[in-house]
Amino acid sequence: MPLLETRNLRKSFGGLQAISDVSLKVEPNTVHGLIGPNGSGKSTFFNLLTGVYQPDDGSYIEFNNVDVTGKPAHFIAEQGLSRTFQLLRLYGELSVLDNVLVGFHPHTKYSPFAPFFNGGEVRRQDNLVKEEMFELLEFIGLAEHAEIPAAELSGGQRRLLALGRAIAMRPKMLLLDEPGAGLSPANVDSLMDTIMTLKDRYDLTIVVVEHILKVVMSTCETISVLDHGQKISEGSPEFVKNDPAVIEAYLGREMADEDIRAAMDA
Amino acid sequence: MGILSSMADFIDGLAKRHRLLPWLLAYLFLLPLPFVLATLFNEYLIDLANRICLFILLAVGLNIVKGFCGQVTVGHIGLYAIGAVTSAVLTLEPGGFGGALGFGWPVWAAIPTAVVITAFAGLIVGLPSVRLEGAYLALATLGLGESVRIFIAVTPALGSSTGLMMIPAPSIGSFVFDSFTSYYYLVMTAAIVGIYFSFSILRSATGRAFQAIREDTIAASVNGINVVKYKLLAFVLSAIYAGLAGALFAHMPPGYLHHNNFTVIEMVTLLLMVVLGGIGNVWGGVIGAIVVAIAYDQTKDLVFYFMDRPVVVQPLVFGLSMVLLVLFMPRGIGGWIEDFQRNRRFIRRSEERLSATARNS
Repeated sequence: MPLLETRNLRKSFGGLQAISDVSLKVEPNTVHGLIGPNGSGKSTFFNLLTGVYQPDDGSYIEFNNVDVTGKPAHFIAEQGLSRTFQLLRLYGELSVLDNVLVGFHPHTKYSPFAPFFNGGEVRRQDNLVKEEMFELLEFIGLAEHAEIPAAELSGGQRRLLALGRAIAMRPKMLLLDEPGAGLSPANVDSLMDTIMTLKDRYDLTIVVVEHILKVVMSTCETISVLDHGQKISEGSPEFVKNDPAVIEAYLGREMADEDIRAAMDA
Repeated sequence: MGILSSMADFIDGLAKRHRLLPWLLAYLFLLPLPFVLATLFNEYLIDLANRICLFILLAVGLNIVKGFCGQVTVGHIGLYAIGAVTSAVLTLEPGGFGGALGFGWPVWAAIPTAVVITAFAGLIVGLPSVRLEGAYLALATLGLGESVRIFIAVTPALGSSTGLMMIPAPSIGSFVFDSFTSYYYLVMTAAIVGIYFSFSILRSATGRAFQAIREDTIAASVNGINVVKYKLLAFVLSAIYAGLAGALFAHMPPGYLHHNNFTVIEMVTLLLMVVLGGIGNVWGGVIGAIVVAIAYDQTKDLVFYFMDRPVVVQPLVFGLSMVLLVLFMPRGIGGWIEDFQRNRRFIRRSEERLSATARNS
């Protein structure tokens, strides 16, 4: 029983078909890689899954046995689907602690008006949540920066915080949009270690978009390849690596054609 | 810096004993103000203090929607007008002066009703925020706010050009809040309670949701925040503040309302308070309200003559200070407050670390 399933997912912007008929299944407790050249539709795919974009008619998205097609982003988040962004989108002026507290928002038990009528209960619950969030911050190594604004963190710390904010939601599934972008190879390795530890600790299913193929190949059980908005290949890292369609997509058609011509001339 | 720090230490110490102690102290501190003002200066300054309290309510409310939630609204003064006129009309005697509407309600029933009606109006002013942002939202809300004033100005039932007169003052038993001093206790209490609740909102999940929307709307929605709901909620909460300020303004001595109190100039004055205070900072907004209200009062009648023609100084001064503020002090007074608080936190943490190492060695 897949945790996430899309059928005939499609999205066009004007004349541009960004995603066409992508059907994909993600099994629970796996790490699923999503790769493809720039502009192949990976980020659009994430935006469709999380409700940032509305899919075109005929699409179907099911998450955790709930039809979430065309549902608003906050509804999908409430179902337990969390994500990070390529450009992080942290709440720069909010403190590190407040950033993860916002991540916890879907589990807030009191009404938005409670501060007016029941301040004591609000403070009691918030203190409990803060303790939990502090543990999370300690785990990702940001506890001592809890009170400083997120904008003042270093690049690596900001990536960790983005991860922490996504985890704070206690999601069932986590979508990671290029978690290693802009990090040095050593930092990428340690980040991936953190991610895998988080996966075990919080019982997560992970879908990861990544350009660093080494990372994808070593951590993912299944890999789907997108090119020009279409799924061109899917399977184990070994299978995908040797799929001619994937090689063509990455090296370019002309080059492949030249190879074929060269082969014919010979 | 020294005095400020020891004051802050003192307040922190009080707050540690009980959360409400600093508020109680502030309240007690403000109790004798009318007598101090009347003795040292004159009775008129109590009226100014009352209007400052109303401006504080307005600025703190505007800060919720603009500062916390990041929604640019220029319709706040229209909500203030709705609160004022509703409460006035509900309490006036039927068949009053100049064809004004009147329902003869008791004041204490009219004020909450006016607040509820203003909250609904706030919802309507907030509706454009679902689709519009920034300057476009400002224009839409400006239109709504200004049309409220024009509607009042052309409707005899709501006072039109003569205004509403003889609006009754609230009373408890035989005690009537019809003097500057007695009314001061009413509006001062409202202002303090308003500031307190503004902090309660800011420090709850509601306040964090507002700020998340301000910082990054897409990230907020992906974090499970219903952006439409919370934007509208911010407008409604700020409208509650504006409605209360308006209703209290209507019944304030001398019980007279005129649509001139709700012009775009008033709105700009209000914005100036929030900008000077530092957008998003509650105490900054309060200080901004006090400073700008006093400046407004002092420059109101200032005129100089240019080539024998009178030039009113106030719009020049206010417009220029707005430009200068945005250019040279974009974080406003709130920026200083935040820096001060951060320095204190930093010093405290360093001291903790030092004492920890001292213990260990």
